[in-house]
Amino acid sequence: MDAVEISHVTKTFASVTAVDDLSLTVPQGSIYGFIGPNGSGKTTTLRMIVNIFYPDRGEIRLFGDRRPETGRDFIGYLPEERGLYRKMTVQALLEFYGELRSGRGVEAEVASWLERLELAGRASDKIETLSKGMSQKVQFIAALIPEPKLLILDEPFSGLDPVSADAIRSAILDLRRRGVTVILSTHDMAVAETLCDYILMIFRGRKVLDGTLASIQDRYGEDTIRVTAPGGLSGVEHLPGVERVRDLGQVQELRLTRGADPQEVLRALVTQAPVTGFSLVRPSLHDIFLRIAGPAAEEANHASA
Amino acid sequence: MRVHKVLTIARRDYIATVRTKAFLFGLVVAPILFGGGSIAMSLIKTKPDLKDRHIAILDRTGLVGGALAAAARDKNERDLFDRKTHRQIAPRYVFEAIAPASDPKDQLLALSDRVRRNQLAAFLEIGKDALRPSNPIEASEETDPDTRVSYYTNAGGIDELRNWLNGPINDGVRLARLRQLGIDIDRNRALLAPVPIEGLSLLERDERTGQVREARKRNELEGFFVPFSVAIILAMIVMVGSAPMLQNVTQDKSQHIVETLLGAASPFELMTGKVLGSAGVSVTSSLLYVIAGVLAVNALGVAGLLPLGIVPWFYVYLLTDVIMLCAFAAALGACCATPQDAQNLAIVLLTPCIVPMFMLVTVLRQPNGGLATAMSLIPPFTPILMLLRQAMPGGVPAWQPWVGLAGALVFAAATVWAASRIFRVAILMQGKPPRLAEIVRWAVKG
Repeated sequence: MDAVEISHVTKTFASVTAVDDLSLTVPQGSIYGFIGPNGSGKTTTLRMIVNIFYPDRGEIRLFGDRRPETGRDFIGYLPEERGLYRKMTVQALLEFYGELRSGRGVEAEVASWLERLELAGRASDKIETLSKGMSQKVQFIAALIPEPKLLILDEPFSGLDPVSADAIRSAILDLRRRGVTVILSTHDMAVAETLCDYILMIFRGRKVLDGTLASIQDRYGEDTIRVTAPGGLSGVEHLPGVERVRDLGQVQELRLTRGADPQEVLRALVTQAPVTGFSLVRPSLHDIFLRIAGPAAEEANHASA
Repeated sequence: MRVHKVLTIARRDYIATVRTKAFLFGLVVAPILFGGGSIAMSLIKTKPDLKDRHIAILDRTGLVGGALAAAARDKNERDLFDRKTHRQIAPRYVFEAIAPASDPKDQLLALSDRVRRNQLAAFLEIGKDALRPSNPIEASEETDPDTRVSYYTNAGGIDELRNWLNGPINDGVRLARLRQLGIDIDRNRALLAPVPIEGLSLLERDERTGQVREARKRNELEGFFVPFSVAIILAMIVMVGSAPMLQNVTQDKSQHIVETLLGAASPFELMTGKVLGSAGVSVTSSLLYVIAGVLAVNALGVAGLLPLGIVPWFYVYLLTDVIMLCAFAAALGACCATPQDAQNLAIVLLTPCIVPMFMLVTVLRQPNGGLATAMSLIPPFTPILMLLRQAMPGGVPAWQPWVGLAGALVFAAATVWAASRIFRVAILMQGKPPRLAEIVRWAVKG
């Protein structure tokens, strides 16, 4: 049984279609990453899974169940817009959220998670005294108590320092090992590539990518040459067979046109600039994202419209 | 709806509210305002201002002023001192006869200035034709100044002097008229002696014993103070209990707390929990208000006048009104983008309390009149106005509280239902507040 089945779901706000005929299946125990530009429909989709928004059309099943109200009891939800009762203590706040979902005392779980995320010493402090990063960790814990079957995290790493981000990444992986299904949205392509089993890209409310990283990259093939040119490629003139050059600083990526010969591109390149490294790779998720939603794609869309 | 979620939210909101400084401050201030205010009134009543009251009399008949001065002397002898303690308990009334001057306006202005300088408490002008008997019906209309007695003062509020003067002036005028007719009234003063009128309650039959219960003495407190206080206390508790809900919801929304809550509870559970939390706060504060009220009536020595039979009604109306207004507040709060928006809407929210406040005097005058009855059966106004009418000595027909309550409960249920639909849609909306037409559409269509 899949954790989440979304079938032909559409959600409209006034004249704007936020999610358009979206279908998706999230296998149990997986980490599913939602990517897409701002306003593409990620948060709306997550809110529909949590049952905060109701779809105008289509159906959402959680663990095979169509009754949306029951979902809240086994879903842990971290919204994008963080908000906590500022006058409550960390301990009281986490116990409140835990009891709200489970209807039982959750003191032991609260203590355990506070210990794990190095907040045990702040348990009796008021939320208003915490730093932003600490508040984020408290809100993350609030989504985990009691341990959910389905964890939905909207931008869980935004605003976190590397140490806190690593602690949360580790917690997510640990939960996955215990069978928890995780759906997260992120703007960080590296997070999606390295953390997620499956990736969904939504663009203008529609699904444009869905699958494992490998399967997505397979659709594009090995059409990218990654070179190391110490002086950069700023002086390089026209290269035959190259559609676009992307300078990443220490390395540069050249996207090939369909059917172009990488060897010919290399020969043309070395005549114009010193090259110390050269490899033929599949496009990164970042590159794929830009091909779909970047300015060039926008221009192409406008031109074809 | 899961009850444990509702109760968890209600408990958090209740604890968060009762721990605020504003609530604790109100807790201390409310009994002081109600109980202390009543005690202060009682003390003021027993410790009046004992300064002499000088009253000038401009008697254009030349026949009435003397009777007034004599009446004042009688009153001073009779009421000035407590007979047991011999302490002065009332101000002395001192009359000063003023001869009419050639320019009446200048003279009246000069006397007015003396009042303004606190040299006089008031002055009387007895018209030169005041002794001419007039038709009582015409007398109540605007009359010729020469035929009336004019009382000039700048005293505000309750003017005991004017209340007292009414008797002596009319006695004086009647005496003068009788003397003009040649009747020797001085030898038969008792003819003009007033007959005391005592206010009594209605007789009733004891349902258990079948015996007729004697009528008991009634005073103005029973007919005015008690019902007025009961209605005001209810209105204040309802307002104090429901107004913070508007801020509470708007704050949860603007601080993005609400989305986390909606991840764990449905909008209806969330709203119901918040409403119950507010109802709990209202009941808590009501207990203190009621205690303060009991202390107040004890201090006034009128504890026996408390209509204890309306206490259950008080709490039923309180909960109905608080639930109705809190649900309304939750819906309005959900539609607001900022706490400032909520402040602007507070007056709309409190309409079901404010309108009955304007009706209090009308209802107190004619508790069973058509307007009072009709207004008290309009559901949003039922709790305060029906309770006011029930607290009055005459009570109301037995069916009216039940019909009123049924209407109020149905209206409260409809408010909760519509509010939950508005709340669900509006609570996550950001930016410009919705238009009224949109809010109505959400309430009707969800």
